[in-house]
Amino acid sequence: MNLAPYVEFAKKAFSREATYRIEVLMEIGSLVLRVYILRALWTALYAQNAAPTNLPLHSMITYATIAMLMSLILEVDGTRLIREKIREGTIATDLMKPISVPLYFFSDGFGQTLLHALLVIPSLLCALLLVHIDVAPPATFAAFFLAFIIGYGVNFFLNFLMNCIAFWTLETFAAQLIVRWVSDLLSGQVIPLTLFPGILGRIVFALPFAAIYSTPLLIYVGVIPPEQWAASILAQLLWLVLFAVLSSLVWRAASNRVIVQGG
Amino acid sequence: MAVDDVSFALEPGELVGYIGPNGAGKSTTIKMLTGILVPTSGEVRVAGLVPWKQRKENGRNIGVIFGQRSQLYWDLPLVESFELLRAIYGVPRDQYRRNLDEFVQILDMGSFLRTPVRQLSLGQRMRGDFAAALLHSPKIVYLDEPTIGLDVVAKEAIREFIARINAERGATIVLTTHDLADVERLCRRIVLIDNGTLIYDGDIDRIKSEYGRFRTLVVRFCEPVERPHLDGAAVAEVEGPIARFRFDRNLQRADLLVRQASERYRVEDVSLEEPDLESIIRRIYVEGYGGRSKEDAS
Repeated sequence: MNLAPYVEFAKKAFSREATYRIEVLMEIGSLVLRVYILRALWTALYAQNAAPTNLPLHSMITYATIAMLMSLILEVDGTRLIREKIREGTIATDLMKPISVPLYFFSDGFGQTLLHALLVIPSLLCALLLVHIDVAPPATFAAFFLAFIIGYGVNFFLNFLMNCIAFWTLETFAAQLIVRWVSDLLSGQVIPLTLFPGILGRIVFALPFAAIYSTPLLIYVGVIPPEQWAASILAQLLWLVLFAVLSSLVWRAASNRVIVQGG
Repeated sequence: MAVDDVSFALEPGELVGYIGPNGAGKSTTIKMLTGILVPTSGEVRVAGLVPWKQRKENGRNIGVIFGQRSQLYWDLPLVESFELLRAIYGVPRDQYRRNLDEFVQILDMGSFLRTPVRQLSLGQRMRGDFAAALLHSPKIVYLDEPTIGLDVVAKEAIREFIARINAERGATIVLTTHDLADVERLCRRIVLIDNGTLIYDGDIDRIKSEYGRFRTLVVRFCEPVERPHLDGAAVAEVEGPIARFRFDRNLQRADLLVRQASERYRVEDVSLEEPDLESIIRRIYVEGYGGRSKEDAS
């Protein structure tokens, strides 16, 4: 397959995002502030309660800070283009082109992600001035990175599926918001899933959301030890494959029932 | 059902006008031809391909222009949209260069090639959209109201460009429009649909002679005439000193009517109104295809 168009899509999305410079700077600023608040919050919580055995305060702050930096990348929803284009009817012109439209959405999202990924570096440096975070050893970091990439894929397909609902309902905002909240909580972005008690903990670990934030983060802070890396990453991969298959089925059904609004 | 039993075939290199009132099913047909809508039954083939089954292959053969919906990238300079399209269709660089140079020259786009699309005027954007749709030298071009909202000069420029693409590149063109002057200027054949069914497919000349047999003679008398009458013509309207007579061109000659009028009355001026495509189509929309028989009876 010829990848040239998709490389172009990603480049264009990157430069399009880069035109909103003020927004970009604001994002870094707000991120630094949020990291600082998180540190204060967890410090206060830990002062009042007994620390969980496998997650001391410094690990918790590391976890929260890195989760925040990851959200910089993972909250970019490239596939929101789907519902915008369905609403405006411009998806018709994309479907008339000799391209894979889902891959177009992926590469557009990826281009946006790359710009936001570049922001992670200055944000991280600023954050380090305010809070101390643990630096993982290279092997752990590599495992974290691999898990993060797979989580990125799972996140993409989850967003893709949500936005594809627009093919049936034309408007998906409410459904999207609910899934976003649920996924923020159940993915381990807000609090580590290890803090969920008993049966609830077992359930949240069995859900696909855990593959997005929880697995890479728990690898990073050492809650998932090296001997369990393979199993955790394999579980992520299973979700990835499942979501990919589901997405392709949904896309096939969706593109057979395109209603282009207007005209 | 949006369209039902609309069958027609096109020869390569043909430029056909596809017309019908709002909601007649024109866009639905175009969507099926481009492969974005799957028909519940029936057959569609475009250059041998079934559009919705071979969407991507079909995509290479076609170029589509929607007057009301740009395919250019809103935030990017015009030329960057072209470069993106070059990558999408895999147009070889030299062919891209040749096409782009030609379009920039014919459509006079040099001055706004680097302007972001959102800052272009409608006329400029439309020219950009034409170039965008044709950069990959498609064999078949669908034009959906390509002159909508344009001023007369811009319209003429676009029409000239369409004629040129058809003549020089041999592209097959399906032109959907409400501006029948577009059709009159460009097409020999029209396909007319209404309520999702085909009501006419054939030469414009034929529909004109079938429906356009009735010409109107406008006579301006020196003073108002009560109950003006001419043999072989029907009074259509009398307003002050002006009377309009409708007559069948096959049964009556205009010059004889004029002589008759000047023999009977003091005539200041006469003029003849030919039916244009617009008035013919308007009558078909209102009266239906059967309207012709009513006319015959009168």
